[in-house]
Amino acid sequence: MSAATVGARARRARPGAGVAIGLVLVAVPLLSALLGPFLVGPLGLVAPTGTDALLPPGSGFVLGTDALGRDVLGLALTGGTTVVGLTLGALACAYAVGMPLGLVLAATGRRGLEGLALRALDVLLVLPSLLVLLVLAATGRRGIGWLVLAVALVQLPSVVRLVRSAAAAPTQRPALEAMTMSGEPWWRVHLLESGRAVLGPVLVDAGTRAVLVLSLLASANFLGVGLAPDSTDWAVVIEQNTSSLFLAPASLLVPASLLVALCAGINLLVDRRLDRDGGAL
Amino acid sequence: MLAAPRRGTRAAGARVLVALAQFAAVSVIVFAMTSLLPGDAAEIVLGRDATPEQVATLRTQLGLDRPLPERFADWVGGLLHGDLGRSLVTGQPVAAEVGGRLGQTALLTGLALIMLVPLALGAGVLAGRRPGSPVDRALTGVLVAAQAVPEFALGLVLVAVFSLQLGWLPATAAGGAFTGAEVLVLPVVVLVTNHLGRLARQIRVGVLDTDRAEHVVHLRRLGLPERVVLWRHVLPGAALPSIQQLARIVDSMLGGVVVVEALFALPGVGSGFVDAVSARDLPVVQGYALLYAATTIGVNLVADLVSARLLPHREVLG
Repeated sequence: MSAATVGARARRARPGAGVAIGLVLVAVPLLSALLGPFLVGPLGLVAPTGTDALLPPGSGFVLGTDALGRDVLGLALTGGTTVVGLTLGALACAYAVGMPLGLVLAATGRRGLEGLALRALDVLLVLPSLLVLLVLAATGRRGIGWLVLAVALVQLPSVVRLVRSAAAAPTQRPALEAMTMSGEPWWRVHLLESGRAVLGPVLVDAGTRAVLVLSLLASANFLGVGLAPDSTDWAVVIEQNTSSLFLAPASLLVPASLLVALCAGINLLVDRRLDRDGGAL
Repeated sequence: MLAAPRRGTRAAGARVLVALAQFAAVSVIVFAMTSLLPGDAAEIVLGRDATPEQVATLRTQLGLDRPLPERFADWVGGLLHGDLGRSLVTGQPVAAEVGGRLGQTALLTGLALIMLVPLALGAGVLAGRRPGSPVDRALTGVLVAAQAVPEFALGLVLVAVFSLQLGWLPATAAGGAFTGAEVLVLPVVVLVTNHLGRLARQIRVGVLDTDRAEHVVHLRRLGLPERVVLWRHVLPGAALPSIQQLARIVDSMLGGVVVVEALFALPGVGSGFVDAVSARDLPVVQGYALLYAATTIGVNLVADLVSARLLPHREVLG
């Protein structure tokens, strides 16, 4: 069998199992993150204060209670909101700053300036992301604002680089030159038109980056350097229950499985998408 | 290219200079992040219910009563002599505090890397030699899914299965000194699983490309045994570009080590960093931050130099 036929067979067989598994894996945590907070009240999943800690599943609580006497099912349904919200927030900040910056860098004719800006951003690249969050927490700067800003900041160099190289691609030039010659204003040519052209690569990049950001935020929350301890974020709940693994495994394993499913699912879907794009080229 | 060797040496020298400049820049950032605080470092370290006397004592101890440029000059001077001050908690020199934990972390990352490389090569070759086959699709799918999962979540699931359910392995190293190798099994598995995907897929693509390259096809036509073609010609060509990927893996593994050590209560650099952060022991935090940054810069430097030497036609250092 020649390489070409093998490739063709591979492309035909591709969509299907992988995509279906990915969709299911993403749907469960995503739905509980989006709809969960609205279900907790009507379903009576909030344990009254003074409820015993570490109750086994079934004792009036479907999945039991955790180390702080909270309903584990209720926690699972409310904890995804911050996971999804913070990830989207950090991604939005990174692209809101990174896209214009990348486009302007691609549009400046001055190579020296461009090189200088990229080198300056590269300093951020050598700072391990978790390190930035740890140092911020050590100096008392924690909470939603710092978390989103710091995570967005460490993504910035690679976002700027991606946008700049996509906007500076040779295939873009003739259209932009034609627009410039017909007297279109600079911002319209280099920000709007280029911006539209890089939107495709940016969306694919956002998919890959979402998993990185999600994982980084969850790790920070698990280490206790992210959200406040009274938050019901999945990773924070896991951190608070680490010592009750043997007494109330559900309080750790339910949020952990939801995080695992979300990350694995997104990566599977993005990967199939990249595969398809790669095959089409 | 006639002047290639000289040009190569000069490029390598320039790359080393870049690394030094990066380290200088990172030191300034670390100092700024831990010194330019909204409010007073002494108050942040001691918390809200500290007495004014306690705050004043700590201010003198940290040198906060002196002007910022003077403090920075002092700090850089100390850094050049390997003196990073003393821990606010134990009073030990920071270098000793950090250095004492290096061995444990080096063992953990070392073991993970020793397992990672052959596994990634095996998986990459297996998948890359039969693209599109069920083996390739299953392997790729599992690896893609595994590489996305945060270390602590994966670790918990493994602990639940192997410690809680089966009782084969200890859940953490806590409650007793480092007892035996079994404590390290799950941490190493977590680190390897998380990074296997990235490396294996890079090797898979390399194998796929090299397998169809003209010189390899020609060698097969000459009748060379498949074993020789694979080991001598396909694998080196496929694995070399992965050196850069390996550098990035070591990088992110250092972040993973923080989480894994915290989860399994291993007394290494990562858990030391987290402890220093929760105790707000700023000199020790600075020490760990510099160690992490220096390792990242060093690993990338070595990867760039090695790939420039092995693949001179690719302008790695440019």
